[in-house]
Amino acid sequence: MQRMAARFRRRNVLRAASLLLLISLVAGCMLPPEPKTDAGRDVFNLYIVVLVLAGIVFVAVEGFILYAVVRYRRQPGDDVLPQQLHGNTTVEIIWTIIPTVIVFILFGASMVALGAVEARAEEPGVTIEVEAVQWNWFFHYDGGPTVEPRGNEPPTLAVPVGEPVRLILSSRDVNHAFFVPEFLIKRDMIRYPDEQKRNELEFTVTEAGTYAGQCAEFCGTSHAEMVFTVEAMPREEFDAHLAALESGETPPPAAGECEQTIEIKANNTQFDIGEFEVPAETAFCIAFENQEDVPHNVSIYDGGTNLFEGEFLNQAGSITYNVPALPAGEYSFICDAHPQAMSGDVTVTE
Amino acid sequence: MATTTLEPRAAAYRRSWVIDWLTTVDHKKIGILYITNSFLFFFAAGILALVIRSELAVPGLQFVDQNTYNQAFTMHGTIMLFLFIIPALSGFANYIVPLQLGAPDMAFPRINALSFWLLPIGGLLIFSGYLFGGAAAEGWTGYAPLTQQGGVGTDLWIIGLTLVGTASILGAVNFIATIFKMRAPGMTLFRMPIFVWTVLVTAVLILLATPVLAAGLIALFIDRNYGGSFFDPSVGGNPVLWQHIFWFFGHPEVYIVILPAMGVVSEVLPVFSRKPLFGYRAFVFATIAIGLLSFSVWAHHMFTTGAVFLPFFSFMTALIAIPTGIKMFNWLATLWRGKLMLTTPMLFALGFLSMFLIGGISGVMLASPPIDFHLQDTYFVVAHLHYVFFGGSVFGVFAATYYWFPKMFGRKLNEPLGKVHFWIHFIGFNLAFFPMHQLGLSGMPRRVSDYGADTGWTILNFASTIGAFMIAVSIIPFLINVVATFINGEPAGDDPWEGNTLEWATTSPPPPYNFDTLPPIHSERPLFFLTHGHGHAAERPSDLEESAEDDVERREGPV
Repeated sequence: MQRMAARFRRRNVLRAASLLLLISLVAGCMLPPEPKTDAGRDVFNLYIVVLVLAGIVFVAVEGFILYAVVRYRRQPGDDVLPQQLHGNTTVEIIWTIIPTVIVFILFGASMVALGAVEARAEEPGVTIEVEAVQWNWFFHYDGGPTVEPRGNEPPTLAVPVGEPVRLILSSRDVNHAFFVPEFLIKRDMIRYPDEQKRNELEFTVTEAGTYAGQCAEFCGTSHAEMVFTVEAMPREEFDAHLAALESGETPPPAAGECEQTIEIKANNTQFDIGEFEVPAETAFCIAFENQEDVPHNVSIYDGGTNLFEGEFLNQAGSITYNVPALPAGEYSFICDAHPQAMSGDVTVTE
Repeated sequence: MATTTLEPRAAAYRRSWVIDWLTTVDHKKIGILYITNSFLFFFAAGILALVIRSELAVPGLQFVDQNTYNQAFTMHGTIMLFLFIIPALSGFANYIVPLQLGAPDMAFPRINALSFWLLPIGGLLIFSGYLFGGAAAEGWTGYAPLTQQGGVGTDLWIIGLTLVGTASILGAVNFIATIFKMRAPGMTLFRMPIFVWTVLVTAVLILLATPVLAAGLIALFIDRNYGGSFFDPSVGGNPVLWQHIFWFFGHPEVYIVILPAMGVVSEVLPVFSRKPLFGYRAFVFATIAIGLLSFSVWAHHMFTTGAVFLPFFSFMTALIAIPTGIKMFNWLATLWRGKLMLTTPMLFALGFLSMFLIGGISGVMLASPPIDFHLQDTYFVVAHLHYVFFGGSVFGVFAATYYWFPKMFGRKLNEPLGKVHFWIHFIGFNLAFFPMHQLGLSGMPRRVSDYGADTGWTILNFASTIGAFMIAVSIIPFLINVVATFINGEPAGDDPWEGNTLEWATTSPPPPYNFDTLPPIHSERPLFFLTHGHGHAAERPSDLEESAEDDVERREGPV
């Protein structure tokens, strides 16, 4: 009898221990990514506190349900009514007060973490205007270059490590959202009628590296493809990176003679022609007309290699591109902001 | 001159059963119409879910293009919420509430019929987008200014939803009038069954919130078709205004979805524990508190817009956890020291408790703005909403189906088949939706037709797709059960479950006028008293006094 009771106890201890292990394994899988910003760390820590509380509540309540189903199962043939309890004021008061206390604690902790997330430095290390369009990104460095999307590569937002980075977020069209999972932060990008009003986001990256970003507000057909990359690097590297961007920018179009002019128009996120042909080893012009207030350009690629980058027209307007001589071959032309919808073939003949 | 003698219930002329069902104003038939129509839309929206999950199982677009995918999740959400869950629960309410009140029908039977028929019309209008170049594809939340870019399908979505909303509002008026004005003698408000209370609070929420949606939809229609400038920033409108209007409706909407299901669970648990609902009064006040609070939290859907006063909305959202917790504890205390009978409706009710708990916990996490900044618009939210809508309301719908099917059709659904349905459903549901918590935590956004192979999200997505197909498979035993029971089911009798409430005090199905006589009503469990009498100690001495007075009245008749 003693031995049976001891075995029973041991078996239950084992059951409880393995259940606890299972719960912690599950909970351990339910974590955000390792945070790479200062404020992200505060959010991560808050999440851990909430997860632990959640785990306790989960185990207690689910545990009771399982216990009740086993312990209080009606035995066949038992027709005696159980005690008809209608309520118990003391117990009900206690289980009202306890959740109230937990709620207040959670709210308080949230407000503290919110303060860390929304903190603004006196002097940010860099200020960048991030502009979202359907379905790509433009990064305008304050007093510096503009990063435009190129080909099928997600555009890269270079930032200095260890310094506050301030983003000014806007949209050209529908709602978008700037989201970097490893920073544990996102913010909506909304086009307001009052163009001065824009959302701001500030963070300090703690570790150099490459971080994936993605639009997190459903914005239409290619929402799933609206990705970008954040590259955090030491300040010296960052300055060199910006300098390289500035010098590599497309020079303004030179007034010159055009042996041949190809006319291309853009409207409704489409080119009006699907192909054109030019002779080899001969510079030519592209008279490009953008007919809508959506950023478009024309670039020419040989596979993944860029042969010509046309300057963007961000609003309706016209521009003449001077395209350098190209060797004979088959290439493609695309709009860098809309490579899926706007592309065509370039045949350069002997 | 010959005179004709009319028999009390005989039809004066023969009518085909088609005409009968098309023109009925009997709340019981209308209830069945609601439920049947809802299940048809459930299957349609369920197929759309399978399209979504098939596409997301592995990276790459295998089955549909991006635009078709976007239509699929838009229609899935719209149909599930507006044409399945709410009408299904409405249908059960329609059938059961007059019976539980001891009333012969709803207050406005013809409006009742109109409320129903607007639903298939509205639903077909919404679906007809597929015939006109594509259904709405902006998400069930239809954010502006993205909706400006939609085609005819978006206009049809707006019009169809406005009709469905109108149906809801009419139904709400009907329920409120019925509940306040048509209770049987002796049934004070605090002797009404809990299901009726939840329907009452839900009806008030519908009455106050749905007109706001209707106004927003009309404004959106004007923006899209008549050059309006409510929400379109390119002509001076404000996109955030749409979000405020939509969510001011949208949040009470989710309580409209869950409260009647909580009512069902609160009917099922006591019957199959053979104990009363613990803390009836507290439960009523908690329900009312949830109803009131639901109007103060809407902007927690907008934490990342940068346009919202975060502390207020975070606090009010966290506050809702308190009355919800009270309800959970009341349910648990009902089980405590009961004698549990694990019938299929009880299994679904217990499933509700377990799954709604998880959904509630993830909801409290989202109530914290810093945590929400990471999780908003990710699969974590998709997990949360499915645990509360599906693990909560849909489990409630199935509990109601198995519980009240014998009353409606005179036959009990087969128990073993019901259990097979439950277990495949329960396991499939958790396999489909639990991994989504981790997908969201690791950064997978929602409403994406595809994801990169390098994200590491493939395994969890694949598991989730298997779960979704398991849910689909679980419907098979359910359908077989329904058909087989119609053909050759075990007769149920008036009261197959030893129920507590008045619907079990009449035949299965009830006659058109519902009751021949009503038992005396002294508590929220009039039938319990009838069955078990005062053989055990009365809970409240006043019950004994009141019943003595009623006995006198019955003997001597009304004065």
